[in-house]
Amino acid sequence: MKGELVFMMGKFEARFPTDRKYAKNHMWAQPQGGGYRFGLAAYAVRLLQDVYFLDWIIDAGATLREKQEIGSIESSKAESALYAPIAGRLTEFNDALLSDPSTINVDLYGGGWMFAIEGPGEGLLSPEEYLIHLEAAWKVAERTIKGQMNE
Amino acid sequence: MAKRITVVISQGQSAHPEKRNLEEALVGGLLMERGVELTVIPHLYDLSPNSTGMLCLESIAGDMIVLSWLYPRAAHWTLDRNGIKGHFGQTLLRSDAADEDDQDDQDEAERAEQDERDEQDHDEKDRVGGRNLPNRTIYHLQLSAQNRAEPFLAEIKRIIAETSVETVGLMGWIKGDPKPEQLARYLDPGGQNGNGSSNGASRAPLLPLGEGRDEGALSESPHPNPLSKGEGTAQVSLPELTRIAETPARRWYPVIDYSRCTNCMECIDFCLFGVYGVDGAETILVEQPDNCRKGCPACSRVCPENAIIFPQHKSPAIAGSPDENAGGLKIDLSQLFGAPNAIEIAAIERDVELVAVGRDAVGLSVGIPKRQSGKQQAPKDELDSLMDQLDDLGL
Repeated sequence: MKGELVFMMGKFEARFPTDRKYAKNHMWAQPQGGGYRFGLAAYAVRLLQDVYFLDWIIDAGATLREKQEIGSIESSKAESALYAPIAGRLTEFNDALLSDPSTINVDLYGGGWMFAIEGPGEGLLSPEEYLIHLEAAWKVAERTIKGQMNE
Repeated sequence: MAKRITVVISQGQSAHPEKRNLEEALVGGLLMERGVELTVIPHLYDLSPNSTGMLCLESIAGDMIVLSWLYPRAAHWTLDRNGIKGHFGQTLLRSDAADEDDQDDQDEAERAEQDERDEQDHDEKDRVGGRNLPNRTIYHLQLSAQNRAEPFLAEIKRIIAETSVETVGLMGWIKGDPKPEQLARYLDPGGQNGNGSSNGASRAPLLPLGEGRDEGALSESPHPNPLSKGEGTAQVSLPELTRIAETPARRWYPVIDYSRCTNCMECIDFCLFGVYGVDGAETILVEQPDNCRKGCPACSRVCPENAIIFPQHKSPAIAGSPDENAGGLKIDLSQLFGAPNAIEIAAIERDVELVAVGRDAVGLSVGIPKRQSGKQQAPKDELDSLMDQLDDLGL
């Protein structure tokens, strides 16, 4: 059984396997060849809930800057643009998600991978560092969610 | 004999239950509508010319009502490019959003008139226009305009009434709750077809798939039985339902609105990926759509007539919004603070794509419209149009 860290989002236990790294924009990064395979971490999936639609605005092979906009996601709770977690060359997309994005909910740390980027990924965080990042991020998210609900 | 009208529902790419429910509510509602043929296809922008869905649309004769998750202009010219041509039908469907922030209380008819006047205004210029248009009308309803089926069904009824003036008598007769046998006679006056599905026969020839048309290979999984008849065919009085079940790959390519295009050739000069070409009559066309770089809308920004549509772009103006000033009533002052103008943005977007395929960035040195040197001829920008609007208010 692999290790995992748990972060409490209110009463929800968000789990983060310790066999991989994490990007600040709440994607997990699993080393692969000269780069990483990325997917959405439990924190992001919990906020999004059911994913209905995923679209990319670049083709595989594209060279990316960090934070470059690469696509968009729509779920039962939210719509968002998606941004490159690291700089590098995007080598492949998980095309299966286009017709069935629900895999992101069902198997977020496995079949729910979204794309792979070749690059050093210096800015990626260890699971422990990511959890510290989450402490701050969650406070902001809570305020944002409450703020929007009070509108 | 009543003219039948075909209603096409182009499904969205999103699996959002609300969207799917709206599509299915429309299917359900239309199955109760007499005089309608119903066809459900995947997202029509993704269909390649030799896809089952496109071939099915090609086989449809007569007036059509197309419901899609696209702006009407985008849907209309996407079909036109695929040889599915017709006159652009005026719809009175309003969008929820327009109702909410109802800044202009102009009613839709007035607006249509205004459009017509605008059309005449800018038709001092020579537009390419729709060519070889058959004598039929294609109406486009935008599914994102409303979130309930009822407004769409009401508009479809209105259009049916509008297009079948000559059958008013018949329709009046049928409103009197006819018996099934009467309906059967009505729908199948020749009586050759006992089960009332006389329309099935005309559909049959579309099944064989054409091979290798002008567009690049698209990984379309061949479907063993792409045309499945829905339950609707079982009952005599109800319309025929054709569902095209294929899952086309996502596509990205420009669509030219020929009612705006002046054949100025700025797009073909600007695009360095070989997307554009000209036909035998030297008219611009999107020759190699799949050469287009995914996400890049640069040629659309360069087009002086705003005639190039990227239906999937998130900016309404580029995605084919009918509203010239799509984006709201606030004045965007970012240009004042050093934001690049449309041509500069286009050049940057093009450079990104050039570099991505290992070519050199060219900046503003290649294919930049001549009008940049003669500022006099610059097309109206957002601010100009806004000023015009203010003038029109007569303050």
